[in-house]
Amino acid sequence: MSEKITISFTINGDKETREAAVGQTLLSFIRDELHLTGTKSGCEIGECGACTVLLNGKPVNSCLVLAVELDGKELVTIEALSKNGKLDKLQQTFIDHAAFQCGYCTPGMIISAKALLERKPNPSDEDINEALSGNLCRCGAYQEIRAAIKDAAKK
Amino acid sequence: MLSYEYIKTGDLQEAFKLLESREHVYPLAGGTDLIVGMRGGKFVPELILDLKDIEEFKVLTEDNKGITIGALVTLNEICQFKPVVDNIPILAEGCHSVGSYMIRNRATIAGNICNASPAADTSAPLYCLDAVVNIIGSGGSRTVPVDEFFNGPGQNALNKGELVQSVTVLKPYPEGKGVYFKASRTGSVDLATVGVAVQSWGDRVKVAVGAVAPTPVRALSVENAVNEYGEKDWSKAAALVNNDISPITDLRGSREYRYHIVEVLVRRGLEQTMGV
Amino acid sequence: MSELKCVGKAVTRKDAIEKVTGSAEFIEDRFLGPLLYAKMKKSTVAHGKIKKLDLSKALKHPGVKTVLTGKDYKNKIGLYLVDRDFMAVDKVRFWGEPVALVVASTEKAAAEAVELIEVDYEELPGVFDPFEALKPEAPLIHEELGSYEVVPIFYPKAGTNVANHFKLRKGDTEKGFAEADIVIEKEYYVPQMQHVPIETHKAAAHWSPDGKLTVWSTAQSPNVVRQLLAKAFEMPMHKIRVISSYIGGGFGCKAGASLEGLVVPVAQKFPGYVVRIVFNREEDMQGTFTRQALYSTLKTGVRKDGRITALEYKMIWDGGAYTEYGVNIVRAAGYSSSGAYDIPNVKTDSYCVYTNNSIGGPVRGFGMCEMQWGIERQIDYIARELNMDPLEVRLINGMKKGSTTASGQVVHDVDYEKCLKTVADQIGWGKKEQPEKGKLRGKGIAGLVKCPAQPSNAASSAIIRINEDGTAHVMIGATEMGQGMLTAISQIASEALNIPIEKIDIKVPDTDFTPYEWQSVGSRITYTCGTSVKRAAEDALGQIYYIAANLLEVPVEDLTFDGKIVYSTKDPEIKATIREVADSCKKCTGEGIAGPIIGKGSFVPKNMTNLDPETGQGNPGMFYCFGATGVEVEVDIETGVIKVLQLATSIDAGKAINPQLCTVQLHGGTIMGLSTALYEDVRFDKGVMLNRNFTDYKIASIDNTPHIESFIIETPETNGPYGARGIGEQPMIGVAPAVANAVCDALGVEFNTFPLTPERVWRALKEKK
Repeated sequence: MSEKITISFTINGDKETREAAVGQTLLSFIRDELHLTGTKSGCEIGECGACTVLLNGKPVNSCLVLAVELDGKELVTIEALSKNGKLDKLQQTFIDHAAFQCGYCTPGMIISAKALLERKPNPSDEDINEALSGNLCRCGAYQEIRAAIKDAAKK
Repeated sequence: MLSYEYIKTGDLQEAFKLLESREHVYPLAGGTDLIVGMRGGKFVPELILDLKDIEEFKVLTEDNKGITIGALVTLNEICQFKPVVDNIPILAEGCHSVGSYMIRNRATIAGNICNASPAADTSAPLYCLDAVVNIIGSGGSRTVPVDEFFNGPGQNALNKGELVQSVTVLKPYPEGKGVYFKASRTGSVDLATVGVAVQSWGDRVKVAVGAVAPTPVRALSVENAVNEYGEKDWSKAAALVNNDISPITDLRGSREYRYHIVEVLVRRGLEQTMGV
Repeated sequence: MSELKCVGKAVTRKDAIEKVTGSAEFIEDRFLGPLLYAKMKKSTVAHGKIKKLDLSKALKHPGVKTVLTGKDYKNKIGLYLVDRDFMAVDKVRFWGEPVALVVASTEKAAAEAVELIEVDYEELPGVFDPFEALKPEAPLIHEELGSYEVVPIFYPKAGTNVANHFKLRKGDTEKGFAEADIVIEKEYYVPQMQHVPIETHKAAAHWSPDGKLTVWSTAQSPNVVRQLLAKAFEMPMHKIRVISSYIGGGFGCKAGASLEGLVVPVAQKFPGYVVRIVFNREEDMQGTFTRQALYSTLKTGVRKDGRITALEYKMIWDGGAYTEYGVNIVRAAGYSSSGAYDIPNVKTDSYCVYTNNSIGGPVRGFGMCEMQWGIERQIDYIARELNMDPLEVRLINGMKKGSTTASGQVVHDVDYEKCLKTVADQIGWGKKEQPEKGKLRGKGIAGLVKCPAQPSNAASSAIIRINEDGTAHVMIGATEMGQGMLTAISQIASEALNIPIEKIDIKVPDTDFTPYEWQSVGSRITYTCGTSVKRAAEDALGQIYYIAANLLEVPVEDLTFDGKIVYSTKDPEIKATIREVADSCKKCTGEGIAGPIIGKGSFVPKNMTNLDPETGQGNPGMFYCFGATGVEVEVDIETGVIKVLQLATSIDAGKAINPQLCTVQLHGGTIMGLSTALYEDVRFDKGVMLNRNFTDYKIASIDNTPHIESFIIETPETNGPYGARGIGEQPMIGVAPAVANAVCDALGVEFNTFPLTPERVWRALKEKK
């Protein structure tokens, strides 16, 4: 049974009404229905953080949210961070510090970091650890990611 | 993609009816255990009942009874709730030990205990705090002590048609220090190899341990030695924890290591809460 | 050489903006069009005969288009030893091996139909340990090993479970041991590990009505995928197009070919559809390459002055169920078996042994992490035995210019001493710090060396097209999986062409349009592809001068090009812009001079040779990259928890084309090494992989990763582009032994295996008491 439910939500600032299958995760909905492919799938069990998005302003693993739960909520994905060709300061500092290699975890990393700076504009090492321990980077760019976040905090 | 029905309701009475309408109904709060379990085939729901519109479950308050945490309150919200931080920081520590920041933005304390993992990080602190679980169903409400809520791995005290409404930590709050220590493989986001909560109440102490028995357990042998027999040698007291546990070997650690590490952490907990 | 303008500079990554904005396309983002979804039915036994395979219910399931079994694939596949069926035929050899492939119009229908396939197995005795597999009475895993096609540098033994036996005999070990004052013999064990790139393996195939096959893949080498598919499906290469995209981490697991071929016959059956297969995390861990476990015995003869006179190294590798690629790891470890040390007498036997565990295959380091774990631990044993400084023992025996490797190859561009001393200085070698109460501190060092493990004819090529406005397209077949290849290669092109890097476009490969590259593996691309690109740039530059010389009517040797203008060195007023030269240039008379400028360059190493089958002597290394790791740890003696206080790493890059990206790579490899040192091992229970997700298999995260001090040493590689050599894998190699050496220094207990989990450390301490 692939029952569908109509949901209304805000995606990257735009109001939308769509059908969502009840068995679908938010991750799948974002990628396959909204065609926003910046959000990545890595483990489907909330361990890697590649699928991190902001749901009502808070970072969550979109693989652990049902698409139907999006109803009435506000969703922000990596695609919303740069506006009119202008990068978010975090995106710029991630570039400046070469804070990624393969780039597959990067959208999730930046989303987590973005939420961190919203709640803690001057994060300590501990704050960064807390906010990003659920975002795995197998290429191991952690040292550069830390530097990029601290640099962005200064800007 | 999975097959099931999904209904979200804000009406408790309707929720009770729906709970009894099918054999396999799964309530959805944070979903962080539920969705993982569905993906792995551990849970095969016919109906997912989304509770997130139920106002009664959103409560997070402190009153003359104590602190009450609704079933829909997320772990991050608990960690930041001032009465928790000020009065029962051990619970904040336990909540903070669960998963990653993103997980804690979804996961709830009700989910953590309903999933009834012996390694649940919130459980040992709740045991130490003598927390109670407020259960509600079509037949009315009842309250059970948290240590009666866990029945075994994945088994809780809910009857068909019942839901956890909230968890309450009753006053008086402990006058003393509380610590939650977690041994894990990486020191990062990980399930507990062993979880140890130690809470002093004046010159008395409560000790609870996780991941060393089918449910979290109170280390009554340790408590007894300290509280009733005045044991001041924390090493001796901590060694008694072995009487209270029955650990197993799994991917996170052997039975033998669990026996060892739980004793070390209980002793350290006693040192930190009761003074060296 | 004049001052470099682009090489050696920390220019911004070519893929930077795409990767931070989420617009970078990974392969799954390119699976468009009418899709079909493929899902595997996997074996539930590790070794068994397939007695019944009933597809009837699955075929009737709504949405199902077809179900394939191993018999639908005519040929086997394999890079070096052709031992692997796309799916099991009559027999399964590891738990989780695919036995059928369901293809349906939705992922859900495919998953449901998989459950409807009925399989009966007659279970056969399994072999889960290579020592068991080597016994004469052991069940054979590949009964037909003797008939398999094999590249003739590998030596499978028909009628046994030995997939390759590499032999090396250098000097005279009997004589070497006789000269020694002490002989130390130790056993080591390195467990299996998993690469776990955050992006799993994915592929899709499309068949067009004219018989053209298009494959999208996460593969590290589109050219090898094309080569293997062409052979397996008996197709000409021009009818196969393999498209690569950004790869979400490779680390070796996406080398060779893996899942691509599974969907090819489906695509052929349903032209017009894009047939996709996406491994989930569990499938990725259990069904693709795993780092082979290594059981080894190392015997060294040493003089009192610390000089190693002889080495006997026996390596038994758990090759898993298929060793099509793994046989070469066993070979590489064999010919490199003296590590970073010049040892006059070496006897090595390296065996690749079939078992019913997951498929062994390449992982960052390609055998060097496993093999040099033993070497670098052994050096510390030697030092302790002789009461010498372990650093001193390394310096005494370490390779220098003119030293010979185990295979007798002379190394030229080496400063291993500097690598070692740099990290030693950084961590305060020789100074013992005071630990906190209940803790102990120690320091450890380990060296490393690696050459690319590749066939001697592994080639590379590049094309540079100069546009009418003087901008350029660099076309290569290497893949970008994070290593920064696109950027480094562009820098080389920019430098050689004298065109600013902003004016250079570079893309990930597509075999229909980009020229040949053997594989993006072995830390070889900067060297091989970099050389090709440099040659292509020089070719293009030659054409620029030729055209300008004809246009301006001055001799070529009088001309110079500053990136924008070609002018005469004698009279700078005689000049032409690059636009004028590049846009199908003609003389003022209207006579044409030359058409568009296309530079080409190709490369094959000239310094490699075959190895003698009996002695393993010869030149297997295109270049040798040295480095070292230094670690200081603090160990909680009650819990066994190790805290890394200092972590320093050095690599001799020859010339860092991009020092910033080089440093990031250095950090990344060091962290991966640290993660394996402390946390990672794959657990099997009779072939069943137990920890096949991120809940059970833990890797390093930001909060348990220490600060790293990294050092790029630059001893130029004579034949490398601008003196560069590859460094991608190397930083990982020394970390595990350095950590173990530090922990041993702290605790006085020895570890011959890792990861050094709190429990393992606790056990070692308990045994010591």
